[in-house]
Amino acid sequence: MNKIALLGALALSVASSFSHASQDSLRIGIEAAYPPFAFKTPDGAISGFDYDIGQALCAEMQVKCQWVEQEFDGLIPSLKVRKVDAVLSSMSITEDRLKSVDFSKKYYHTPGKLAMKEGTQINDPLVDLKGKKVGVQRASTYDRYASDKFEKAGIEVVRYASQNEAFLDLASGRLDATLADVVNIDEGFIKTDTGKGFALVGPDFNDPQYFGRGAGIAVRKGDEANAARISAAIDAIRSNGKYQEVQAKYFDYDIYGQ
Amino acid sequence: MLHGYGSTILDGAWLTLSLALTSMALAITLGLLGAAFRLSPLKWLALLGEGYATVIRGIPDLVLILLIFYGGQDIVNRVAPLLGHSQYIDINPFIAGVGTMGFIFGAYLSETFRGAFMAIPKGQAEAGAAYGMGRLQVFFRILVPQMIRFAIPGFTNNWLVLTKATALISVVGLQDMMFKAKNAADATREPFTFFLAVAALYLLLTSVSLLALRLLERRYSVGARLADI
Repeated sequence: MNKIALLGALALSVASSFSHASQDSLRIGIEAAYPPFAFKTPDGAISGFDYDIGQALCAEMQVKCQWVEQEFDGLIPSLKVRKVDAVLSSMSITEDRLKSVDFSKKYYHTPGKLAMKEGTQINDPLVDLKGKKVGVQRASTYDRYASDKFEKAGIEVVRYASQNEAFLDLASGRLDATLADVVNIDEGFIKTDTGKGFALVGPDFNDPQYFGRGAGIAVRKGDEANAARISAAIDAIRSNGKYQEVQAKYFDYDIYGQ
Repeated sequence: MLHGYGSTILDGAWLTLSLALTSMALAITLGLLGAAFRLSPLKWLALLGEGYATVIRGIPDLVLILLIFYGGQDIVNRVAPLLGHSQYIDINPFIAGVGTMGFIFGAYLSETFRGAFMAIPKGQAEAGAAYGMGRLQVFFRILVPQMIRFAIPGFTNNWLVLTKATALISVVGLQDMMFKAKNAADATREPFTFFLAVAALYLLLTSVSLLALRLLERRYSVGARLADI
């Protein structure tokens, strides 16, 4: 018995810090490499939409956020071995991930949008785009949607290996429009020099059958307590205006979706 | 400098350097043990040393890092409650990183050291024994100083590889200079600026250590006639 105790003491001395899993702190894993959702400022602090939403959620739940930085690949393993209690890092809720972790309700779901020449009016894309050329990234969710809906409506779909190539062809006039994630279009095109004179137009594309369920906050499988209180906090900051406040810092459009 | 990210990258460089040095200290210890085991007349010790060198050198560093960091945590999680610790025990990433890198490079060094020990003429140890020294005295007074001279070229190789392999460790959340550079590259969307900057820092680090090791080699070659080697 003594030997086991000694072995235990040895094992414990290797572990350098005891983290008291108390009620009033929540360890959140994040990868700070996805601006504007999460990135590092020059002084080394984490910043971005994900971070601010996390701070707002913790304030709402009256717990202390402890941010743990990891690479994206390390986030789910860290969650599983209890290095963190939640992952808030623009993680899409997918069937594959649901096999190993649980999710809160979504905290954002960026819709697809069309990028076209500034001033273009699109009410019903399936009617207004007839006979036009629309670029999508090959094998993306947008490609699946365009192949199903656009081609039947007589819209020519052009597929590209990367979304950046579609942006370049739109800028050079070879395309009339491109369909992609709203943040991707805004950050990767409209806010750059190549994207001058172009704008986000038309309705949001957010059919869940094609575009999934948005980004959620991952918790350990079976951790219903945390999933429920995080989901409740998301509802609370949506209705008290905190969410909109954070959103306005980074985006001038709604990213929550429907 | 570097859009204001310069100082945080230098912080990362300091972490890289301390990680590399601490890991190397552990690797030298494990390497000496491993080499001593493999050269031991006891069959089971020799087998243990051989197993260590074979298994660790045969698995990619990244796989080992993930296995030890996450798998080790999983073991701690399972064992701690059995010992009556209900609280979650966190393995510090720096200690885990040093442990992992030291363990991996200890295996490589054990081979370097073994080769160096074998290069020492047998008569040296026999002469030590003839003077009435014990086994440990012969080991530390006669064999180790001569072994260092033979080991330095291989050791230099291992040190360079280890220094560069620390870039892998950011996967466990340690903010070394590669991790900081990636952060800065993602935030500013200017990858080449930052990757070129860390490339220069790695080159600086390795060049300085090459110089230092060359001086060390000269120091340990004092009294040895080059034509003999």
